[in-house]
Amino acid sequence: MTSPFKNAAELEKHQKQLQGQKQLPSTIAVCTSGCVAYGANRLVDAFTKAVKSRKIGDQVRIIATGCQGFCERGPLVVVHPQEWFYEKVDGKDINDILDSALKGKVLKRLLHKDAKGKTYQKESEVPFYRNQKRLLLAQNSRIDPCSIDDYLRAGGYAALAKALTKMAPEEVIEQITASGLRGRGGGGFPAGVKWKSCRAAASKNGVRYIICNADEGDPGAFMDRALIEGNPHSVIEGMIIGAWAVGHPGKPQGFVYIRNEYPLAVERLGIALEQARAAGLLGKNILGSGLNFDIQVNRGGGAFVCGESTALMASIEGDVGRPRAKHIHTVEVGLNGKPSNLNNVETWANVPLIIDHGVKWFTKIGTGDVSDNPWGGSKGTKIFALVGKVKNTGLVEVPMGATLREIIYDIGGGIRDGKKFKAVQTGGPSGGCLPESKLDVPVDFDTLVQEGSMMGSGGMIVMDEDTCMVDVAKYFVGFLKFESCGNCTSCRDGLIRLHELLEDITTGRGSEATIQLIEDLAETVRASSLCALGTSAVNPLQSTLRYFRDEYLAHVQDQRCPAKVCKELITFTIDAKKCNGCTLCAKRCPQDTIEGKKKKPYTIIQDNCIKCGICMDVCQQDAVIVQ
Amino acid sequence: MSANPASKSQPVSALPPLSGKPMRQVGSTGPLVLLPNRCTGCRTCELACAFAHSEDGNLGLSRIRIHPAGPDRYVQVTCLQCVNAACVQVCPTQALVRNADTGAICHDENRCVGCGLCETACPFGHMHFAVEMRKPVKCDLCGGRPACAMFCPHEALEWR
Amino acid sequence: MPIRFKINDVAVEAKPGEGLLDVARRNGFSIPSLCHLESVPAIGACRICLVEVRRGRRSKLTTSCNYEVLDGIEVSTDSPEIRRHRAMNLELLLARAPSSEAIRKLAAQYGVSQPRFGPIKYNPLPNCILCELCVRACTELGHHALTTVGRGDRKRIGLPFNKPADTCVGCGACASVCPTHCIPMTDTLTKRAIWGQKHDFVRCSECGAPVITKKHRDHAIATKGLPEDYYDVCQSCKQIATSQRFAAIVW
Ligand SMILES: Cc1cc2nc3c(=O)[nH]c(=O)nc-3n(C[C@H](O)[C@H](O)[C@H](O)COP(=O)(O)O)c2cc1C
Ligand code: SF4
Ligand code: SF4
Ligand code: SF4
Ligand code: SF4
Ligand code: SF4
Ligand code: FES
Ligand code: FES
Repeated sequence: MTSPFKNAAELEKHQKQLQGQKQLPSTIAVCTSGCVAYGANRLVDAFTKAVKSRKIGDQVRIIATGCQGFCERGPLVVVHPQEWFYEKVDGKDINDILDSALKGKVLKRLLHKDAKGKTYQKESEVPFYRNQKRLLLAQNSRIDPCSIDDYLRAGGYAALAKALTKMAPEEVIEQITASGLRGRGGGGFPAGVKWKSCRAAASKNGVRYIICNADEGDPGAFMDRALIEGNPHSVIEGMIIGAWAVGHPGKPQGFVYIRNEYPLAVERLGIALEQARAAGLLGKNILGSGLNFDIQVNRGGGAFVCGESTALMASIEGDVGRPRAKHIHTVEVGLNGKPSNLNNVETWANVPLIIDHGVKWFTKIGTGDVSDNPWGGSKGTKIFALVGKVKNTGLVEVPMGATLREIIYDIGGGIRDGKKFKAVQTGGPSGGCLPESKLDVPVDFDTLVQEGSMMGSGGMIVMDEDTCMVDVAKYFVGFLKFESCGNCTSCRDGLIRLHELLEDITTGRGSEATIQLIEDLAETVRASSLCALGTSAVNPLQSTLRYFRDEYLAHVQDQRCPAKVCKELITFTIDAKKCNGCTLCAKRCPQDTIEGKKKKPYTIIQDNCIKCGICMDVCQQDAVIVQ
Repeated sequence: MSANPASKSQPVSALPPLSGKPMRQVGSTGPLVLLPNRCTGCRTCELACAFAHSEDGNLGLSRIRIHPAGPDRYVQVTCLQCVNAACVQVCPTQALVRNADTGAICHDENRCVGCGLCETACPFGHMHFAVEMRKPVKCDLCGGRPACAMFCPHEALEWR
Repeated sequence: MPIRFKINDVAVEAKPGEGLLDVARRNGFSIPSLCHLESVPAIGACRICLVEVRRGRRSKLTTSCNYEVLDGIEVSTDSPEIRRHRAMNLELLLARAPSSEAIRKLAAQYGVSQPRFGPIKYNPLPNCILCELCVRACTELGHHALTTVGRGDRKRIGLPFNKPADTCVGCGACASVCPTHCIPMTDTLTKRAIWGQKHDFVRCSECGAPVITKKHRDHAIATKGLPEDYYDVCQSCKQIATSQRFAAIVW
């Protein structure tokens, strides 16, 4: 970078220059996102040191990237330009990787092997990646998120230049509307429609807020984190285009409300913002267009509910983050009483792609027809955090309309340990659980809602046959009763009571009347709570009642937990025919409640058993039975 | 000099003038006129008021009080609906508002937060706090048909 | 321009920005409510003031206290569905505040006498229904001596920074607005105890009865512009003085 770009031509020139520059023969991209947990940071340090001591800095470049997706196999390393994909990389592999990169010969032992033992060289060939459509995440294993030049080289900020010089704000809004882009933060509200109302809303002094929701409070979700840590400029570029479309001419001001537990994302976003300012892409008269816009970072209040739009705005204002009634929309009266346009990280990241590649390209991906109704379908891709009992956990990006089966089996590799699939929960803690019979439904905004779940922001938890669905419902209701802001009787007390009632069922104290009361109460929670936390909180409960009612009935009618999870409803016993009296279980039982003589069958004294299941885990003879 | 017109040392003229007109009768509250010289102390007015303002005729909620003033002499005390009313002035929630039709300063339950300032401020000791309800009790002229005047058997209260 | 709309098919008018519940009450419609006063900001906590609002083709349940009126809406204040959800919310509240007369009465109107839920586990201020009227009233009066603490099932009413606030004047408004009268406040001749502190009373110069707390008086003098001796005498003594002065005029 030299000096700020005064206009689009200067930006383009710099971009051309970068693209023409000769690259070092090898770039080694190390994931430093979640993989840090497996020591990825030490890996980067070690790589850097080795490059230095071996004096090969003119041949190899080491970059620390955001999440590359296949977290299950982390730490991941990708060697460019060959795109060699190495998994479970360890400190002692460093020199081998460097050698292979210098020689241009792939290092076989670190390649990905599938269940049948077949190996894959390139990232894009690995089944986990092959079945995805990575547009937003495309750059995550390629660029250094702390380098604006990397982003520019990959074509970044071209969309901004195009919007600011060739398109009127209204035209940008038209394109976004026509693209059918819908909010990725949960609601699926058409972004173009939102932008249009915000632009139209009256603001006395011309101030309009352009806000990015990076609160990402869903447990287990990390889509937004991956985007900010891996490609922060794409989000910034989207927001600047948004400022042009929604707030120009006027005084648009930007905020990123980011979860406090994401220090690396905060750091990288801060660096990226600095770079954008230095490049004249934020600040006064951006690219000579007359647009004045800057973005400020706000650390989240640390509560799940702070991700809700009105709570988020209250939190930015310095109040307790809690929702208020939204009969008047925040696009008209939002932050500080001004028109405010809030979108999710992933929504913003889609914007440059659409402007760059055009509406036609974007609408080809996905379901439905949005040509005359932005609600008419779901377009583009969606990133999911695929977790739970699948073989390949990680971050996956698929076209809207991909089926659950494709995501879980083709990408996720199916269920772990040869178990049977039971349910998948989409949409975070307030999403619904869908059974096997729904595996072939297309994943898009409207179908998921129809089936009793929702897109949410992209959590996807896969459950196997060992999961008790009553227990699952109890878990999510428990999470939400804790995270409710506590304002509404129906949400706060409703969830407390639902949790108690579910507890009754899982401990064998429930009856059919309990189920009836749960159903009635759940309806009130949904119908009479103020914000979407309350109105959607009963999704997991209602969907499991809809699809797994027999499990509830087994608990209350036969005092039986079919998945053998609910402790009060199960007993552990030792099959005398199988037990060889090895004493292993007796030694490990934390309650000392397994008795017997060596080499003779042992027995569990039930009174003291706490149903921890350790005996079953340690028994080599499969002699411990759970009923 | 004490500014509290209720202190005994104060001359009667210190009572706030009513609607700018000279007092027609002692303690005239505008159209509701108190005539102590006719009052027999029967306290029908208190009961009437209590029933007009509560289901069970709780006398603690009566807005009018009969005070003995010597042998066979009684005076009625109720709200004077003052022009520059102290209660209105102190109320932090604008819960005391004059009704344009009746001239009564009415207490708005939907606004009052029960801070009690009005009771303390009223120089005539009219406003009082109903302890159970934790809300002040104040004459509202019964919306234009004062029960006390309707039921006084001796015409010691007149609604003109 | 007034806002015109309908409540139960009756045409009503309101000023822009007014709350639906306030407008409905003013026009004589009764909607039950437990957490609303016109003088404090509406938050929609109790969920009892539910109504159905139809706007164009779309109709939805909403609480009326925090609903700003809009032109052309059609409101109904009662329906089997509304009653069902009010009843369930009242059942939840009754379980939280079993000894509140007000809630018991209202719940009974909705056919709820015995809640199907047990005592609430975390409720450090027994019978508090977390309506936040106390907090909002105190804030509205400018004292800012109360706050909510925590969220979800651990939410409670508490003191800022967990200690009695210097700014509390002991006015007792919080105790007055509380729909369940659950805030402990005890008065002796000399002192009022509330929220962990004791406030000295101004004593009646005639009879010695407590009149107002000294702090509240000082606050009132500073903000309300009435002279100090307005606060010297208690209500009963003032009333007796008034009667004596009337008598002096007549006889
Ligand atoms: C309880 C609750 C939590 C939410 N958390 C988030 C969040 O973490 N991130 C997010 O983008 N949206 C979240 N939302 C959705 C936002 O309210 C809002 O709809 C969204 O940010 C709008 O952006 P979009 O239209 O681009 O999706 C949450 C909503 C609720 C009700
Ligand atoms: S629904 Fe729940 S989270 Fe939302 S405002 Fe009400 S209590 Fe708070
Ligand atoms: S209550 Fe007292 S101060 Fe208020 S109008 Fe009546 S007499 Fe005057
Ligand atoms: S008690 Fe009520 S009416 Fe009296 S001053 Fe306080 S808020 Fe106003
Ligand atoms: S008594 Fe204290 S806490 Fe209560 S309203 Fe008055 S100032 Fe606030
Ligand atoms: S103490 Fe009373 S007023 Fe305060 S929140 Fe609880 S119930 Fe409401
Ligand atoms: S965190 Fe490293 S691949 Fe996802
Ligand atoms: S009065 Fe409206 S929610 Fe309580």
